[in-house]
Amino acid sequence: MAPLKYLEQEYPILDSNFQNFCATHGIFSGPFPPSNFSRIYSPILTPSFTFLGVRFAPILLLFWRCSLFDCSELKDTRRKHMKFRALHKKTEDQEDLLLHDLHVLVAFAEQQSTSERLKQGITQVLSIIDGQHQPWLNGMELLEDAQLNKHVLSTGCEGIDLLLEGGLRMGQLTELVGASSSGKTQVCLLATSNVAKKHMGGVVYLDTGNSFSPQRVIDFIRQNSDPAIDQAKHRILQKVMNRILCHSVFDIFTMFDVLHQLEVNLRSQMQKGDCQVRLLIVDSISSLVTPILGGGGSQGHALMASAGFLLKKLAHEHNLVVLVTNHTVGGEGGISKPALGESWKSIPHVRLRLSHDQGSSIYNVSVFKHPSMVSGKAARFTIYD
Amino acid sequence: MEEVVASPREWIDRNESAKTMLARVLTARPLLLLPPLHRVPLRVGNVVELVGTSPSAKTHILIQAAVSCVLPKEWNGVHYGGLDRLVMFIDLDCRFDILRLSKMLKHRINGESNGSLKKIDQEHMDFDLWNNDTKKSPTYDEELYSLCMRRFLFIRCYDSFQFLATLKTLNYRIRKEQELHGISVHILMIDSIGAFHWIDRASTFMPLGATNRKTPSLQTVSETVVQEIRKLLLLHPMLVIATKATIFGDRYSMETKRNLGKLDTSNSRSMSSTSLQLPYREYMPSVWQMILSFEPMTVIARSIFQNGCSHHRVLWINL
Repeated sequence: MAPLKYLEQEYPILDSNFQNFCATHGIFSGPFPPSNFSRIYSPILTPSFTFLGVRFAPILLLFWRCSLFDCSELKDTRRKHMKFRALHKKTEDQEDLLLHDLHVLVAFAEQQSTSERLKQGITQVLSIIDGQHQPWLNGMELLEDAQLNKHVLSTGCEGIDLLLEGGLRMGQLTELVGASSSGKTQVCLLATSNVAKKHMGGVVYLDTGNSFSPQRVIDFIRQNSDPAIDQAKHRILQKVMNRILCHSVFDIFTMFDVLHQLEVNLRSQMQKGDCQVRLLIVDSISSLVTPILGGGGSQGHALMASAGFLLKKLAHEHNLVVLVTNHTVGGEGGISKPALGESWKSIPHVRLRLSHDQGSSIYNVSVFKHPSMVSGKAARFTIYD
Repeated sequence: MEEVVASPREWIDRNESAKTMLARVLTARPLLLLPPLHRVPLRVGNVVELVGTSPSAKTHILIQAAVSCVLPKEWNGVHYGGLDRLVMFIDLDCRFDILRLSKMLKHRINGESNGSLKKIDQEHMDFDLWNNDTKKSPTYDEELYSLCMRRFLFIRCYDSFQFLATLKTLNYRIRKEQELHGISVHILMIDSIGAFHWIDRASTFMPLGATNRKTPSLQTVSETVVQEIRKLLLLHPMLVIATKATIFGDRYSMETKRNLGKLDTSNSRSMSSTSLQLPYREYMPSVWQMILSFEPMTVIARSIFQNGCSHHRVLWINL
């Protein structure tokens, strides 16, 4: 029948009598037991529907949206979507118990002959549900975690560091908004070089527009280094560059793939001092999300929200700095505003706006939103060629 | 089931004196005098919603209320005027910053113990977060601070099912915490009740198998959430404050700007409720709207520059 059967192996009280009782009330499955399986495939609700037991994906919407792709690309995207669905399937049958009123169930159980055993079964299931959510913490424990693990990483750019009172904070999702050629990628590359060199942390760079340039990263590294022997310099440079991993992603499903793989790696990784991943950059997330938004359906927004939650989860649980970039679109009265709409506004922790004076190397950055700072605070910085 | 009264005299005899009644009512209805929550007659068992675009100071209001709630009434001779109760915070937005709570608590403890209570403007609430008072001597009450921080209970949920699992087991958790601390929970805060709206909306499932099976969709999830909160309020009377971010902003942003202009220039007391239209579009299902005790309170925050440093001015509208 359903996963309730699998629960029986671990918890013998949930026997076939219990399962039949539940089936009469429309409950065919319970929560997943706290095993490794459910931990690895972290639940992300993605849109799909099932008809006669076959899983369909609303890929039709995607076909209309991706009119820029040719046929081969469409098939490729469809295959990726199917694979994505298969990997991260959230079976609709696993959460019946969460949607039912357990008190009513207990009342029904009292009417049965084996009421005691059934009630024990329900209590058992409730304790499994208690393991389904994150642990409750109190304020002191949270504070300790923040002070011990969530440090601030400097970006290498004095203006931004000054504005953010130290730099980018771990555990937070920071967004850089700016028109094209306003310096977003430059800031990302600068942050990459700084984290890899000064903080000696690993960097994962998801590049959506082929804008990652290793040469530029090397330039940034060389800029601030002390004059040293050439031989040692070369070795150091290699070590630093080895900490940076760049993936090219061109659609949102590939991004989910990469992020899930990263999550698995981070969970199973031991504390390797040198190669601990510290920074995750998605440049730019708007080019992944914009093609699927719109069209009146909610799948695009759902994927965007899922991506936001996944990034924040990675940031919090593995103490990463997550940096994403976003472009601008025209708003009312000709004033440009950030893309991705109103629902995206409440997803990042910090939003910074970048702009660039034409022809000079001076950049302006201002705070759009910050958890503990007034918006509107601004600073300037320079990036030398 | 009515018990048979032994005699009519017993029936007209008083149940309790006025003093005991007042004591009972004050514990059930402690006064939360903080703006903006001082405007509405809040009681335990109420469900309040604060709506605003992002960023407005919704989470700040929650943090302020939490600080007032966890502080004791009096400690070591200093009067803090708090409610001396526990606060439970469910973070669905996953954006909560504990350092803000910590700073605000320290600021409040410092302020009270140094005898300099800032007069809170009844109409507007001016605050500047970066005026850290680090110049003051850091001899605040360490013991009180850690006691209060421990009274703040926090959980974050990454999807609807974790949220439902939390709500289902909240009853046992509250009982456990109440036994541990010896005081009851007064406020349950839910940051951004609409966080999973899009995800739930997009997950439509066709019924598989039996017809009496509930399929997870926006409607069933919301119904279950509302049901669980209702049951919880029966067992543990407390105040539920939920924030909600707007998700349809474009068409109404011009409306909001025009109305904000009106608010700034005129005294807000003279503004009638009919002159202001809803600056946002309601997207929560009706089952949630019915559990609310009052109309959702709209929160709007503007940053203003005054005296050389920047402040936030928080306005709120009760429609």
